[in-house]
Amino acid sequence: MGRAKIKRGNTNVDMTAMCDVAFLLLSFFILTTHFKPSDAVEVQPPSSVASKIAPEKDAFMVSIKMDGKVFIQMSNDMKGDVIDELSTARNLNLSAEDKKYFIQSYFVGTPLSQLTQFIRLKPEDMSKVKLTGVPVDSTNNELQAWINAAINAYKGRKINFLIKGDNNSKYIVFRNVINAFKKNEVFKYQLVTNPEGIPLGSELEKKNLAGESAPEQ
Amino acid sequence: MAEMEVKSGGGHKKGPGVKKSKKLSTRVDLTPMCDLGFLLITFFIFTTTMSQPTAMNLAMPKDTDKPDELNKVKESGALTIMMGKGDVVYYYFSNDPTKLQTTGYKDIRGIILEKKKNTPADDLFITIKPDKDATYKNAVDILDEMAINTIKRYAMVDPTDDEYKLIQLTEQAGGIK
Repeated sequence: MGRAKIKRGNTNVDMTAMCDVAFLLLSFFILTTHFKPSDAVEVQPPSSVASKIAPEKDAFMVSIKMDGKVFIQMSNDMKGDVIDELSTARNLNLSAEDKKYFIQSYFVGTPLSQLTQFIRLKPEDMSKVKLTGVPVDSTNNELQAWINAAINAYKGRKINFLIKGDNNSKYIVFRNVINAFKKNEVFKYQLVTNPEGIPLGSELEKKNLAGESAPEQ
Repeated sequence: MAEMEVKSGGGHKKGPGVKKSKKLSTRVDLTPMCDLGFLLITFFIFTTTMSQPTAMNLAMPKDTDKPDELNKVKESGALTIMMGKGDVVYYYFSNDPTKLQTTGYKDIRGIILEKKKNTPADDLFITIKPDKDATYKNAVDILDEMAINTIKRYAMVDPTDDEYKLIQLTEQAGGIK
């Protein structure tokens, strides 16, 4: 009886197809991720157990830097309307060119009087200039004017008001920002934080485990 | 495929003296390249999802002077938490600021839970008062404690002058900078 010969299969697998897939995915991810220009304002936010992702659409973000300076960042689609509104409200006499520069700029970091010079700065020169931030003190509250312009420009539609404060910024600046919002009858904000795990055994964890709806704060 | 078929010349018959050129395999081992591709993918996935910031909702009350629009708080259910400099927390129960007690951010959760356990749910009201020297992180930390301990009723206001003086006295006595 002849024993059947076991055929030795080739163990060499053709990797071409798999390699193609890997690089296709890689290029897809690289192209779809958009890099945030948030480096412009360096802020290290505190962490919280909040699990909701910060919205990026229709966002009006007020950043508070460590030294207490306040900056405004807006989503690109609202910039045009807001600057139109603000320039009529404050008689800024901005030219069409100024507005174009404003839309291209990443954030607002100066008082209105220096706005035209500021928006012409190139991103690489931004770090060399000492920025004063948007004034928020009670005598000259320009943040209030910006918020007002945003609300008027967005009549009826919802704006996501975000506040992003640095860990070491003073609470008093935060309160000034809140006051500027309050004067515009805005009472709901979202504080941008870094995610953090819910402490074990806490009431929130029990609540989440019990299957109740997401924590409302 | 990474192979190419090499066809011998179109129809001409080679003479007996023409040497046949050796066919070299054009197949390349793609395993390391494939590994690298997936490594990069995993790297990008991890780095992009981690940096997604979250948002915490905060609703502030409208400023009002009318007494009937003000929230009423039962004395028995009131807990006031104040934040001073140097990451120190002060708290007192009901409405007697002179009975100020000092604690830290790690221990405040126990105090809140203790109070919550001993008070009827509808009476509990926590007032958060960050003073001029508190940082933004302090305020967010305490607001976060409210979420962690599922406190439904709380408000964030400024400390009164008396309370601020008390905090300063305590700070001086304790040597907190």
